[in-house]
Amino acid sequence: MKKVLSMLLVFALAFSIVGCGAKAEESSEGSGATEPVVTETQETATSYKIGIVTPTLSTSEDEYRAAENMVAKYPDIVKHITLPENFSTEIETGLSQITSLADDPEMKAVIVVSGQAGLLPALQKIEEKRPDIITMTAPIWDDPELMSKYIDVCIDTDWVRRGETIARKAHDMGAKTIIHYSFPTHMAKEVIVARRDQMKATAEELGMTFVEVTTPDPQTGNGPAAMQQFLREDIPRQIEKYGVDTNIFGTNCPMYDVIIDEALKLKFIVAEQCCPTPTQAYPTVMNLELSEEDAGNFDKINQMISEKAAEADMTGRLSGWPVPVTVYVPEYAVELAKKMIEDESFDYKNLDNLKAFSEETFGVSAEFNTLKPELDNYFVLIMESIFY
Amino acid sequence: MAYKIIAGFLVLLVALAFHLHMDMIVLLNLSFIKFAMNGLLVLSLIPMLNAGMGMNFGLPVGITAGLIGMCIAVNFKLTGLVGLLISALLGGFIALAFSEVYGRILIAVKGREEIASTFIGFSFIPLMNFFWSLVPFSNRQMLYPIGGSGLRPRIGLNPYFTSTLDQLWSIKVGNFVLPFGLLLVYGIIAGLIHYFFKTTSGKSICAVGENDAFAKASGLNVKKIKLLSVRISLVIAAVGIVVYAQSFGFLELYDAPLMMAFPAVSALLIGGASAKKGTIIHAIIGTYLFQSIYLLSVPIANELLLPEISEIVRNIITNGIILYALLISEKGGRYA
Repeated sequence: MKKVLSMLLVFALAFSIVGCGAKAEESSEGSGATEPVVTETQETATSYKIGIVTPTLSTSEDEYRAAENMVAKYPDIVKHITLPENFSTEIETGLSQITSLADDPEMKAVIVVSGQAGLLPALQKIEEKRPDIITMTAPIWDDPELMSKYIDVCIDTDWVRRGETIARKAHDMGAKTIIHYSFPTHMAKEVIVARRDQMKATAEELGMTFVEVTTPDPQTGNGPAAMQQFLREDIPRQIEKYGVDTNIFGTNCPMYDVIIDEALKLKFIVAEQCCPTPTQAYPTVMNLELSEEDAGNFDKINQMISEKAAEADMTGRLSGWPVPVTVYVPEYAVELAKKMIEDESFDYKNLDNLKAFSEETFGVSAEFNTLKPELDNYFVLIMESIFY
Repeated sequence: MAYKIIAGFLVLLVALAFHLHMDMIVLLNLSFIKFAMNGLLVLSLIPMLNAGMGMNFGLPVGITAGLIGMCIAVNFKLTGLVGLLISALLGGFIALAFSEVYGRILIAVKGREEIASTFIGFSFIPLMNFFWSLVPFSNRQMLYPIGGSGLRPRIGLNPYFTSTLDQLWSIKVGNFVLPFGLLLVYGIIAGLIHYFFKTTSGKSICAVGENDAFAKASGLNVKKIKLLSVRISLVIAAVGIVVYAQSFGFLELYDAPLMMAFPAVSALLIGGASAKKGTIIHAIIGTYLFQSIYLLSVPIANELLLPEISEIVRNIITNGIILYALLISEKGGRYA
């Protein structure tokens, strides 16, 4: 037995030495051979790839379809992979999926779209391994200072200033009270807390009551079901207490199925969703029947929502953004990465350039800002509103 | 024993709610709906538990069967009671089909059923995610709005059968509403299970659960009996999710069933079931206590301005009680 074991060990040792040696030889031999390959890529120049990472279709349709659209538009350039379905418990898998993109020597840009915290280490690793790759987030929610340091371009919605814009919009729509639903895991995030603070300050400035309610946490234990059931029970209670001129805002997307469903019954105001988009919650709650050719046609979807809102006597009490920001931002990121690779003189740090680029590429106007004055590569945007 | 501690906690919550002038009648109404809505999923655990196969952590398998049943009913735009009945029937049949495979796997891993069922449940969900995004349903109210194909993660049931059972034969006394139809359905199914365990088949399930070697020696076909218990469990789970969805108002696909086994198992353990045996009474007490604590603790904590604490306290108490229940009942099972 011992003999066999020692033989095995010897073999293992021998193999590892020989194996390493062979590799070294190969690479030294290969160094001469790689030269013509390099010149070849220089000649073609256009052969590069952009990797985009999104949540799965069931987690969030918008980001997924945005990436699909880009793959359809640039099939030779864009490579789309998805994060694990069960993001919060399988974050390690997500990290290794992202870093694996950098193994492709043609990869020139990696864009990560997740709307969650915890993926920064993957981008940091890519930056170390392949500094030539442009890393971009559209968006992820790790610590902004660190993101700005390790990531080349961060694009996000201007979540914090939305605290102010939503409160003002709700006030214009006739709200006297704003209810803010959230839970501990979200309230541990700087951006969400800052938005809450701005919303509260603006509400008080405009003379509105600001109410904060905590729901069961969907990211611990029993999943989002308990949170949604709580909203079903709690919203009627709150509306009875504060009246119908109340704007309800929740910090988590799955909340909106229940919030908008209750809004149609109880007639309160929903000035904006946490991720303003016509495609989340509205189609489910209003049972929109989109024909095959209208799928993805936002004008049509918006028109159908307006009709259903009018049927429910809710005209002017629901609002949002005309195009889902969650489709727009990932697509914008891909286009921007393409522009940055092809046109090295493009100054992406100039905010007017970014705005002009949006108008010429998408025909949609969006206002860009930097998150903080010192973070010159962390851009935040706000789009115009649509009232249903 | 465990339910006494939880009951004590619930009494404290009720007292607090009363003190805070919360609307007790509305809370009582909600507690009944919440009880029946989640109740069948808890009941579905009992047959497999009694057959010695442990807690059915593979509940998502049965739930998925019910979801497919409902998707078919919604696809053909069946509404009201008809829609519900067809959903439950179709779901039941699909659950029977699933149980043939699921049951055989569990019989093969005898002694490790709980861990095996947990993993079957977890691996079944991603498999079904493929199914949901590829299945060619034609009702466009169910399909993704941008891509135009694949089912939405949540499908609104308002035009179909939201609250059909909740409102069926409901009895109103002032502000108090007793959802009689809903409780009746729960009662009938609970009664059937109770009656079933009085019959020969039911008793043979318990015999297998207590000692399968002895049961085999007495001439019982252990495999067949275990398979029977799996069939019953999955069919009740399928019907259970139909009842749940009509109360909730949305048909939740994809990852929604993933964690649903855990609250159900917690409720049954809190009710006093051991890791080997559970009765209808355990399920009823457990479900009511567990769901009512959910119902009360969050709004009370919000009123008391302790919102961050409430989640932590609720988690410590409910999970602690479950651990306590397991420890005590294991002892009772072994030394009693």
